[in-house]
Amino acid sequence: MEPALWIGPAVVVVVFVFGYSMVELVKTSLRYDTEWTFENFRVTWSDPAFRTALTHNGRLLLAVPVLVILALLVSVLLFEGLRGWRFHRWAVFLPFVLPIPVIGVIFGQLLQFNGLVNQLLRAFGLGGLAQDWLGQPRWALWTMTGVIIWKELGFGVVLFLARLFSVPADMFEASRIDGARFFRMHRFITLPQLKSVIIFYVVIEAITMVSWVFNYVYVMTNGQGGPGDATQVAELYIYQTAFQYQSPEIAAAAAVSLFAVTLVLIATFFRIQRRAGLASDA
Amino acid sequence: MRRRIWVGGVIACVAGAVLAGASLGARDAKSAPTEDVSLTMWWWGEQEAAGAKKWLAETVKLFEKKYSNVTVKTVLQTTDGLIPSFKAAAAAKKGPDLQYFWGGIWSLDDAWAGNTKAVSDYIPKSELKHYLNAKEETFGGKVWTAPWYVQPSFPVLYRKDVLQKAGVAAPQTWPQLLKACDTLNAKGITPLAGGIKDGWFGGWLYSIIGAQGVASIGDVLDATTGKAKFTDAKHAAWWSRLQELQQHKCWNNDINSLELYQGQQRWTDGKAAMTITAGSDVTKFVKQVGVAKVGVMPMPKWGNGPYAGKLGSTSQTMGITAWTKHPQEAANFIMFMHTPERMAAWFKTTGAFPADDRFDTKLISLPQQKVLFDLVRKGSPYLENFIPPELDSKAMFAQSQLLLGGNTTAAKAAAETEKIAKRIRLTQRKLIANFEKWAASYR
Repeated sequence: MEPALWIGPAVVVVVFVFGYSMVELVKTSLRYDTEWTFENFRVTWSDPAFRTALTHNGRLLLAVPVLVILALLVSVLLFEGLRGWRFHRWAVFLPFVLPIPVIGVIFGQLLQFNGLVNQLLRAFGLGGLAQDWLGQPRWALWTMTGVIIWKELGFGVVLFLARLFSVPADMFEASRIDGARFFRMHRFITLPQLKSVIIFYVVIEAITMVSWVFNYVYVMTNGQGGPGDATQVAELYIYQTAFQYQSPEIAAAAAVSLFAVTLVLIATFFRIQRRAGLASDA
Repeated sequence: MRRRIWVGGVIACVAGAVLAGASLGARDAKSAPTEDVSLTMWWWGEQEAAGAKKWLAETVKLFEKKYSNVTVKTVLQTTDGLIPSFKAAAAAKKGPDLQYFWGGIWSLDDAWAGNTKAVSDYIPKSELKHYLNAKEETFGGKVWTAPWYVQPSFPVLYRKDVLQKAGVAAPQTWPQLLKACDTLNAKGITPLAGGIKDGWFGGWLYSIIGAQGVASIGDVLDATTGKAKFTDAKHAAWWSRLQELQQHKCWNNDINSLELYQGQQRWTDGKAAMTITAGSDVTKFVKQVGVAKVGVMPMPKWGNGPYAGKLGSTSQTMGITAWTKHPQEAANFIMFMHTPERMAAWFKTTGAFPADDRFDTKLISLPQQKVLFDLVRKGSPYLENFIPPELDSKAMFAQSQLLLGGNTTAAKAAAETEKIAKRIRLTQRKLIANFEKWAASYR
């Protein structure tokens, strides 16, 4: 009884905030006019724009391993006592605390075809590398992925560093005495010690790529997901369908679909975490 | 006896008149309550009619002075946020009492969704008949939003000094425009400046180039409802014209990474010979660049349709929201915006024409304004106001971005437009049904 009392307020909040919204969302997704139907799902899944949006979310997932590797590398370097590491840590973490609209506006300017990045490339005789980073469909999504990596990296670094500092120093000391060098030490001590944090970071970033990139896309493409549909993502699709094109049923069907995908990711996380826990117990 | 009847009749008439007066008085009291009324107005327009904010602040002050129990709060919306913010407010049935709408479908879409009250229910016919372009917002015998100012849509501005230096005359026809692009490019001058990153410019281009191929607005509405196709020659030809502009390198090379207004700025900075602007903003550009240096013209002519060589004319409008508790006060504010003094002040402050035939045209002094006013007088409907916003965004905006970036062809763009239209006919059945009714009024 006592545990129930403790978690009671949280349950009430969850039921009211999420439960009610979810029920309404599912209800909307299953209705057209006054009839109950699965037609909204069929229409949504048959929409090439929605499939393109999901594909783009899938492509953004490729940023997750890049983020993990970079965050590991940077955090280990900082942990190893890189000169001026406090400054570097601050510099890496700064993008994470910057508001996304600010980042969107700044990168929107920097990455224009005649923006600062291309001007610098041209000034150094590398004009051949200058691209319309956000204006050409073949580059736009990758450019956006780069910006997201730049912003999200700081979170991983701080997370990994915090865990690294909590690892007993004598573990590293012992491995050094045993003759382990940089690579072996981090391969056999750092990585296993960071395992749970890495899994956590992977899941958080995977969820971000699937359902939290709306702000980036909205700000950097003026709410269009362009050029064409080159940066269209599921959240923007839902937003446009609901609030610009007045099709709440289709938007609800798309939202339920996206929720299902996110749920699969969360379930996978718990499964992996449980397995990792069991393995370490053994 | 006869006299008694006569006296009785007079008494009855007087009594009737008194009673009628009392009831009228009661209606007046109801329509003009004495309790405090607070109105919120969400608007847009400073972006294309510089000075609108200042004028609106003055207007609110004067209105509040006249109606001492009413206060008006104004909230300026962003271009990209104007529609989504209102849709969100409409979903919650909470938000502004007065809302800004672009013309045609941009206002009827919300009327059909039940988000607005018809202004013709609150503004007398005798007043409303003076408002220009109100036909675009008329449906089912009612006018749904009230025109505020005219939007000449959309003139080409050219720099006389830049063209003269390059030895190029202002192009009047399509071949002349393409030739001008070649000549200007050879001299290192950007022919046309624009920005399409935010998409809006795609809708402009569709309207000013595409209008030249159609015979009537009924044609456009028919293509939307499926009676015709967007791949039919009259609806698809404009994509070929746009592709020609791209192939002749008529646009700035960074058009895809610039927003609409950033593109126009290139022209103001003297880095391009021509640009396309909101007609309501012409005065600002003329003043920035210099009266002697700027010319105004419609998009060079390529078609033989009745709209070729003409400028689109639409009005930006104000609507009364469905959930407001004070629709009459909101209507009073709209009517106050149309008083002669306010209209004159509007024109003096912004240089844009009030959407009212009572506007004193003697106030028009700049030569560019005179040209523009003449073009508007003989203007044509503005196409973008007659297609579903979803088609506009997914086809006209997106395909224009791709075409101008060299990533699609005219034929593919037209096919994609029809594909999207076909899907809208399936998913937006209520909207299309309303389009069919709307089309009937244009036949």
